Parts: sequence; C-alpha cells; structure tokens
Amino acid sequence: MTPIEFFLAGTMSAATVFLLAALGELVAEKSGMLNLGVEGMMAVAAAVGFVVTYQTGNHFLGFAIAGIAGILVSLVFAVVSITFLANQVATGLAVGILGLGLSALIGKQHESLTITPPGTLNIPILSDIPFIGPVFFQQNIVVYLTILLAIAISFCLNKTRLGLAIRAAGENPKAAEALSYRVKMIRYGSVAFGGLLAGFAGAYASTIYTPLWADGMIAGRGWIAVALVVFGTWKTGRIFLGAYLFGMVSLGELVAQSLGIGIPSQLLSAMPFIVTIIVLAVISSNGARLKLHAPYALGETYDGSEPR
Amino acid sequence: MKLNSLKKMALAAALSVAAFGATAKAETLDIGVLLPSPIADVGWSHALVEGFNTVKEKYGDKVNFNVVENIQEGPDADRIMNKMVGDGNKFLLLGSFGYMNGGLKLAQRNPDLSFIHASGYKTAKNFSPFTAKYFEGAYLMGMAAAELTKTKKLGVVSAFAIPELISTINGFTLGARSIDPEITVDVIWINSWFDPAKAQASAKALIAQGADILFSNAQDTPSVVSVGEEEGAYVFNLNSSMKEYAPTKYLGVVKTDWAPFFTASVEAHMAGNFDGKNEWLGMKENVVVSEDWNSDISPEMMAKIKAVEAEIASGARHVYDGPIFNQAGEEVVAAGSRLEDGAILGIDWHVQGINSPLPK
Repeated sequence: MTPIEFFLAGTMSAATVFLLAALGELVAEKSGMLNLGVEGMMAVAAAVGFVVTYQTGNHFLGFAIAGIAGILVSLVFAVVSITFLANQVATGLAVGILGLGLSALIGKQHESLTITPPGTLNIPILSDIPFIGPVFFQQNIVVYLTILLAIAISFCLNKTRLGLAIRAAGENPKAAEALSYRVKMIRYGSVAFGGLLAGFAGAYASTIYTPLWADGMIAGRGWIAVALVVFGTWKTGRIFLGAYLFGMVSLGELVAQSLGIGIPSQLLSAMPFIVTIIVLAVISSNGARLKLHAPYALGETYDGSEPR
Repeated sequence: MKLNSLKKMALAAALSVAAFGATAKAETLDIGVLLPSPIADVGWSHALVEGFNTVKEKYGDKVNFNVVENIQEGPDADRIMNKMVGDGNKFLLLGSFGYMNGGLKLAQRNPDLSFIHASGYKTAKNFSPFTAKYFEGAYLMGMAAAELTKTKKLGVVSAFAIPELISTINGFTLGARSIDPEITVDVIWINSWFDPAKAQASAKALIAQGADILFSNAQDTPSVVSVGEEEGAYVFNLNSSMKEYAPTKYLGVVKTDWAPFFTASVEAHMAGNFDGKNEWLGMKENVVVSEDWNSDISPEMMAKIKAVEAEIASGARHVYDGPIFNQAGEEVVAAGSRLEDGAILGIDWHVQGINSPLPK
C-alpha cells in the first residue's frame, strides 16, 4: 500500500466511526431531542462490544449486543428528559459522564487486551484493481453498510410518513400531537435509534477500527459526531461529507507527519477541532440559514399536557 | 426515624475513620500512589505497580498502599494529591510527568512527607524525580532493528515531544546507525499519552511509508504492537513485555524494573533520611533491562548486543558518546567527548538520520 492509498483507505475507515454516531444523533435531533451523551453511549457500547467479542469470538454478536447497550444508555436519557421533562442539555451531559464511568467499569477486566479484527471484504475483480481496489473495495463490510444506511436515513426522513412524523415532532410537537402523532413515542423511538447507532459506532471503534479495549479510547470522537450534525446543518448528505472530511483531517495529520512535512504536530492534532470551530462559526454567521434547517423545537421539553 | 438512622450511620462512619486513623498512625506507613492510566496487564502503570508490589512483599503489614488510577494530569490530579495527603499518606508516588508542579507545591507545604515523581526534573529536599535511561535499551533495539530491516526505514509512534522521549528516539537511531549508517527514522507524534486508535493509525501510516520496524514509544496499550504483528513489521516497546500481542514479530522489550529504587526510597523515608535528588536510573542500576529478544536476530548480532550492553552497564561506553550530529548535520558532540547528563535530560534536538522535524 502506498501512502496515498493508505490515506484514502484509512479515511473511509476513520470516517465510519463519525458517520455512524452522527447519523444516530441526526435522527434524535430531528425529533427534537438534543442528546449530548453520544460520547458516553459510544464508550459503553465499545466496552460491551469488546467484552462480548473477546469472550465469544463472534464479531456479529459483539456488534449486536453493543447496539443494545447503546439503546439502553440512550433510554436513560429518554426517560429522564421525555417522561420526567428534565432539561435535555443537562441530562445528556450527565448521561454522557455516566457512560464514560460505566464503560471503565465494564471493561476493567479486559483493559489493554486485543482481539483479531474481522477480515475485510474481498470482491473479485474490483478488489484487485490497482489503486481503486485497495482504497474502495478492501474495507470492512460495516463501512459499506454505513454508507447505505446514510442513504436509507435520508430517504426515510424526507420521503416517508415516518420521517414526516419524526420531523413534525422536532419542528412543532404540539401541531404533531394535534395531528394525532404520539410525540413522546416518536421521540423515544428516535433517541433509541440514536443510541443504537452510537452503539454500533462504539463497537466499530473497539472491535474493527482499533481492535482493543482501553478505557478512554473513544477519545472525543462522540463529541465530534455531535458537532458534525450542526456542521452538516441537519442534512444527511452534508453530514456524510463532513464525516469523511473529519476522517481525512484526523488521518492527514498522521500521514503528513510520516512524510516529514514540517507543520507542528500539535497544530495538526488540534486540526479536527479547529475545523469544527471554523465551520460552526461560518454556518452560524448566517442565523437565518441555520434556523432554516435546525429542528425548530430542538432541545425543548414537551410535556404533552396541552389540550388536543 | 429516617433522620435518626442517617445520623447513626454518619456517627459510625466517623468513628470507624477515627479508629482506622489511630491504628494507621501507630503501625503502618500509608503510601499514596497516583497513576495516569488504568492498571492493566501491560504498560507504564503496570510497571509501577510491579515495583511497589515488591515493596509490599518486603514490608508486609508495615506499608499500606492507596492507589488511584487513571487520573488526568491537571487540576483534578492536584485535588486528589491534596486529598491523599489529607487522608494521612506520608509517602507519595506520583506516576506521571504532569503531576510535577502540583506535587512539588504539596511537598514544599509538607516537609515531613516524601515524594517520588516519575519523569520530571524539579527536585526538593523531600521530592525526588525518577527517570529511566530508556535510551540505553533503545540503543540495543536499534542495533537489532538494523540487522532485521530490509527497507532501512524505521518508524516511531511517540506520545509527546518531551526530553525523555526525544532522548529515547535518538538512542534508538544512534544504535541502528552504529550498525548501518544508511538507516533513517520517521517519527509520528500523536500528542497524547492515550489514544489507541490514533496510535494504530500512525503505525499503519508508517508502514505505508515503508517502515518495517516499529517502536512504540510510551504507548501504554498494545495498539502499535498488535499492528506490527498484523502487518508483519518487527516492533518493540518500553516498560513491560507485550510479546503475547506479537508472538512472531516482537523485537524485544526495554523493561523497567522499579523495585530496587522504590524499596530504597521507602526505606530511606522510614529511616528518616530521605534525600530528594534527581534519580536517573539505567542499566547500571538494573532498572533498565532489555529482554524477550526475537529469535530472528542472528547469534552474531546478539553477541554484539550483549557486549555493548555490558559496556554501557559498566560505564565504559555511553549512548551519547561523540561524534554525534544533529539533523542539520552539525557536529554537536565531538569525537572523544560525551554529552553531559544535563544536556540529555533537557534534550530538544534530534540526531542525524531522523527525517521528521521535531515539534517545538
């Protein structure tokens, strides 16, 4: 593999972590739920996914149970903020911190252990094309499934009744309720879906991308996923591009260093976060544009007690 | 009723604490240990734990360890240190560079306590920094690497650009080029003590770049080591053996055995003659030990390595013996002279043969 092949192939792999988590958060936010606990959900799922895969040797099982773990953590958030009407920001942060602590506890006995990563896909003919093959057609299957998932979510949100219901819950819950949508149920479902994808993202990080468990290994990737949703102005296509851009920036740093390019490495390490700040500043400079795409009732608790 | 039982509980807790405090004072020495990463079966924290386990064996009930792991450097660490002192610990082991300033302040406020601090450079009467001369072991690894490399490109995944890590990379490079002067070394600084995903991606980037030997510099997890096995690059690391993560491609380990130093320090504290100074320990003190050598290294090279090892341990040879050139090709250490200890402890330049610029 040449450095440029490594760079492009690695970008796809690195971007998948961001994309999975950001897609989940997108759905939750579309329903009006701002869940800031993504980092914690990912950490718990990464620990659970690793432990299950380590004990059973079954990557599929590890992934599935990690998804369930993600859902369970997200439901803690959902119960507190939807049923008990607590502030979403505070609850999300609390659940995120809880998740980080919980992941350390779950993974304690497996600290610093490794597992063999699952094989990558090998498509006859396509995988053997020089350059194109190693970059695009020798990835783990999750990389491709995540891309398909992005398309499916985009379709669902924009073209289906279910998507309309989710968006209505996020734009104007009262109106949605008036149209006999059950806003709280929709929000529960959306948050749980976000938890599922955050769980998959965590499992991808601990069993495929970096096949080992170490406490703190999510290392801020959940926060980047939250930022990506704003970055992509709640549009699937832009979030997809954003995730790949972030994958590229985070990997470009390492490639630039290995090539001996004389940019201070501290600056390069800070790049993903600097890019986030710049893009957020640019997007926010036009308030109208931001408001156009942001779910109108994002972050607002809905008590559902209004007369129908 | 509820309030009453709560009060009772609080009272009981207070009593038990008081009772515990009293017995502790009479008999045992409470030793507080602050570690930067979770304790695992391998890595930096593991090596420290091994060290104080020996102390525990020697003194039995006379010492009592209070260990807090996975503490980030910064205000949180300062708070926990203060609490440890408040809880009655009389001897503190601070396990990371970044605990230095907070620890030193605490030492100055509590002259009757003794502190040993990893990787730092500031000292006080009751505050001893301790560092391993990793570069001695890394030099030997460099020699072995020079024999096994085919591409003549070595790669280093490194945490932060602090003197301890820079001097180790330099030692590795000097060792390799002592065998084959054509060898070059690439370094990736990940600017984190702890980001396994980044460490693995860095290792892969180095391999894509042509490196066929990897050095996992101050990485606490087997991240880089397992990539070496997967991708077929020989790999070595510091502190504790990770051979099981790379059964065929493990070059060796530059191990640290802190037991002799920890035991001596605790002994000095108990005798009341703890004297803070910069403890810089290497092969001579048996703190730096190179072992678990790969069987692919030829017997001739192994003999050469053992000979150099003996010379370094005896002091007849030093890794930083001249002539040594910097990256710009200027002679920094003349032939026949030796780089001073102070200059190595504060080193901020790379030797010739390292391609990557040093972040300033």
